[in-house]
Amino acid sequence: MATDLLNISPQLIVLSTTVIVLCLEMARLPRAALWALVVGMLTATGVAVDMLGTDTTAFSTTFRVDALSLWAVIILGPATILFALLGRSELKDSAREGTIYSLMGFSALGAMILAGSGDLMFIVLGLLISTLAGMAMAAHPRNDPSSEGAMKYFIYGSVAGAIMLFGLTFWAGLAGTTLISGINNPDLSSYAVMFGFITLVIGIGYAASLFPVHFWTPDTFEGAPVSIAAYLSVVPKIGALFALAQVVRDLPVSLVDWPLILAVLAALSMTFGNVVALWQDNVIRLLAYSTIAQSGYYVLGVIGVGQSSLAIDSLVVFGVAYLLMNAGAFAITLGEGTRLDDFKGMGKRRPWQAVGMTIFLLSLVGMPPLAGFAGKFLLFGAAIESGYSWLAVVAILNSAISLAVYMRIVVPMFFQEAEDGQIRTYAPGTSFVWISTFVLTVVVGIGVQWFLT
Amino acid sequence: MDFSSLPLLSITTFLPVIGALVIMVLRPKQTKTAYGIGIVFASLTLLAAIMIWIQGIGSSLSQVEELSWIPSLGIAYRLGVDGISFPLVLLTAFLFLTSLIFSAKIKDSANIFIQLVLMLETACLGVFLSLDLFLFYVFFEITLVGMYFIIAKWGHEHRKKAALTFFIYTLIGSLFLLLAFLALYLFSDTNTFDIQQLITNPTITGLAATLTFWGLFIAFAIKTPLFPFHTWLPLAHTEAPAAGSAILAGVLLKLGTYGFIRFPLQMTPDAFREFAPYVIVIAVFTALYGAFVALAQTDIKRMVAYTSVNHMGYLIFGVAIAAVTTTTSGMIALDGAVLQMISHGVVTGVLFLLVGALQDRTGTREMNEMTGLLKTYPILSGLFMLAAFASLGLPGLAHFPAEFQIFLGGFDVYPVAVGIIIIGLPITTALYLRAIQKVFLGTLPEGFTGLKDLGSRELWAIVPLILATILIGVYPDSLLSMIHATTNFFGL
Repeated sequence: MATDLLNISPQLIVLSTTVIVLCLEMARLPRAALWALVVGMLTATGVAVDMLGTDTTAFSTTFRVDALSLWAVIILGPATILFALLGRSELKDSAREGTIYSLMGFSALGAMILAGSGDLMFIVLGLLISTLAGMAMAAHPRNDPSSEGAMKYFIYGSVAGAIMLFGLTFWAGLAGTTLISGINNPDLSSYAVMFGFITLVIGIGYAASLFPVHFWTPDTFEGAPVSIAAYLSVVPKIGALFALAQVVRDLPVSLVDWPLILAVLAALSMTFGNVVALWQDNVIRLLAYSTIAQSGYYVLGVIGVGQSSLAIDSLVVFGVAYLLMNAGAFAITLGEGTRLDDFKGMGKRRPWQAVGMTIFLLSLVGMPPLAGFAGKFLLFGAAIESGYSWLAVVAILNSAISLAVYMRIVVPMFFQEAEDGQIRTYAPGTSFVWISTFVLTVVVGIGVQWFLT
Repeated sequence: MDFSSLPLLSITTFLPVIGALVIMVLRPKQTKTAYGIGIVFASLTLLAAIMIWIQGIGSSLSQVEELSWIPSLGIAYRLGVDGISFPLVLLTAFLFLTSLIFSAKIKDSANIFIQLVLMLETACLGVFLSLDLFLFYVFFEITLVGMYFIIAKWGHEHRKKAALTFFIYTLIGSLFLLLAFLALYLFSDTNTFDIQQLITNPTITGLAATLTFWGLFIAFAIKTPLFPFHTWLPLAHTEAPAAGSAILAGVLLKLGTYGFIRFPLQMTPDAFREFAPYVIVIAVFTALYGAFVALAQTDIKRMVAYTSVNHMGYLIFGVAIAAVTTTTSGMIALDGAVLQMISHGVVTGVLFLLVGALQDRTGTREMNEMTGLLKTYPILSGLFMLAAFASLGLPGLAHFPAEFQIFLGGFDVYPVAVGIIIIGLPITTALYLRAIQKVFLGTLPEGFTGLKDLGSRELWAIVPLILATILIGVYPDSLLSMIHATTNFFGL
């Protein structure tokens, strides 16, 4: 019992931090709540870094303490801090500002639980914690667009979650246990296992904005505050995809050809996200479709699980890279404005921010030597090694389309004259986020060795 | 002399980008100062490249510099040089210096322009000197970003469309390159990205080798470019500023042709041999297609751009011959192909600069609107004619020894193909003579008041390139001996 608690200490720290943050908000101390969140998340991250290399389980193998669950803490802890700082910049002095910080903490906890799931119940629990808190955050401004977005997120979540729960009862019934490892039995009925897997993909795909359960994404992002949209684009996604990796580790290919199912979804997700993004005039919607596409790339790493030596590395490195470049792009959008026209003439007005945004977008395309390239490089490698070269080809064609998408932001920055109008200012938190992610996007791309297991 | 204590290759590669950083920190107010800094660093780079030459270019990859980078994936910072890559390094350093001198008239955001050009130079040198697939790819991609901004910001009328077409098109190519590199890595015995190991011990076979070969082929065929992947080229070359076009044609196309020699020929030799007949058909068609389409152009810059397609056809024909045969004729063809890279870089580079000078004076690129310029601009006209004669393959000038060797080597193996491809020569002759007749001969329209003849800035850029054209034509052995030592070492 004691070792079990010790093994999940990063998650326990996150939990207690979040409770403290909630208490501070009740005392109407939003600033203190933010600082408590920062300190707690840093502590949890530090503990997780210290534990790297551990590969064990806790509580009768229901929770896995391995590279994936530890890296989830190391990625999502700092992620929560970055998005909380963005939230502070955007929502400072709004009513119930501090609730945002505690909800971010809870949602991150859900994602961390997902990433270490060894039991189907943990997947259900993690998904619920992670997305329910997200819904509350999305509704924070209490106006029509945000309520509509949050409602969509909620209804989609309820339906997807219910379907998943229904399907997972088949798995539990077949295997006689809710442990994920119970499904690792070639004698089970193939059809029932496949049914369970498809419902699982619906539930997880919803949190990860995977086609075809992505429909909430653009509307929810557009209605929510920019910092919340940024949060939702990163944290639940990483948790959900890590959970998917935990499941397929134990799923025999002889029962259900899961790599093929995931490959088809990945291809559709990438293509749909990138093609639809070509028509968006709102930067937030454009980035929303881009996250659908990026989820598609990310699935390549899951396909490699068990078949490629690069799979876990690719999931970790792309997770880090995706956090950095997405947080940076959203931060600059928060500073500049959400219409494409707001970016006109930025190269003259704010040359450094313009260069920063270009770097984030090129990193999303996968340009070396940036972080996004290192991630995609490993993802493509994992796909090829698993025998999915055709998927890698689809992915590279999509990278080319995505260049056209992201250039729609770059072109007005450098080659169009600014419109008249008031110029927005960058809050200190926003500046901190874009500068730190900018530096790290370059550093991680070159120093990728530190993230390899 | 002995400079072996110095990491000369790294110094050469990174000197330009240090120059860019100096400009970034000092932020010179005067464009003259900025160009001064840029030209000094470009000259130092050329000097460092010459020091590499003095150090001695071995027949195999030598002067290797290595630093650990991502050991778990077999990736390291590795640089090295041989008789194929060194001439290209020299060409790059030379052409960037002259292009920078030529563009000193650009006043609009000059600091950023110079920084981009210098960054591009580092990336190009890095591509030619890399001995690691990962590092190669990093430099290869940075060239795209640099060139995109140069075209999009300082180009002509349709610059944005041209820049985006160039960027997306060549990005598709480089992504195929990425897949091929990953395949080479995954199928290598020791899981390495080390180019030397992959060359000495090509382990990839069967279907994987075939797919890798075609991945490499598409990537480099887009870059070179070969028909039908050439459609980005005329647009980008025409819309880029003069120095940009010179660099694009002179150096960036060579990334593709160099790639053909370094990767498919050395790493998947069996697959290349098997599919060489297809490549030869494509190369022959490209050469003729480029020549015929160039003949149909009225825009003089577009015409020069299409002659590049024609020359690249000859070049890849030479490489494919080397892939088919292991006899001396293969080696002769490969020698010719490598020399063709240098000749084309120098000749087309200077042609684009001259067309730029022409456009500055007449305000148009349409040959129908220019006539009788010989009397007003004797120097410009004389130099243009000389460069045009070099481009059409006149003996005594740069292209002749290269193309002669390619055809000589090819004649032994595919005489019919040589018979067909050689039709390109009279066509390019015709189109250049027609251009000279239209633009320079005849009588000047009345009331034409253009600028003066070539000024000292333009002469400093153009004359060295013209001298190099003559030197290579008269004494090709200055480079060929080095090239031949390496192709001989290939033992094809």
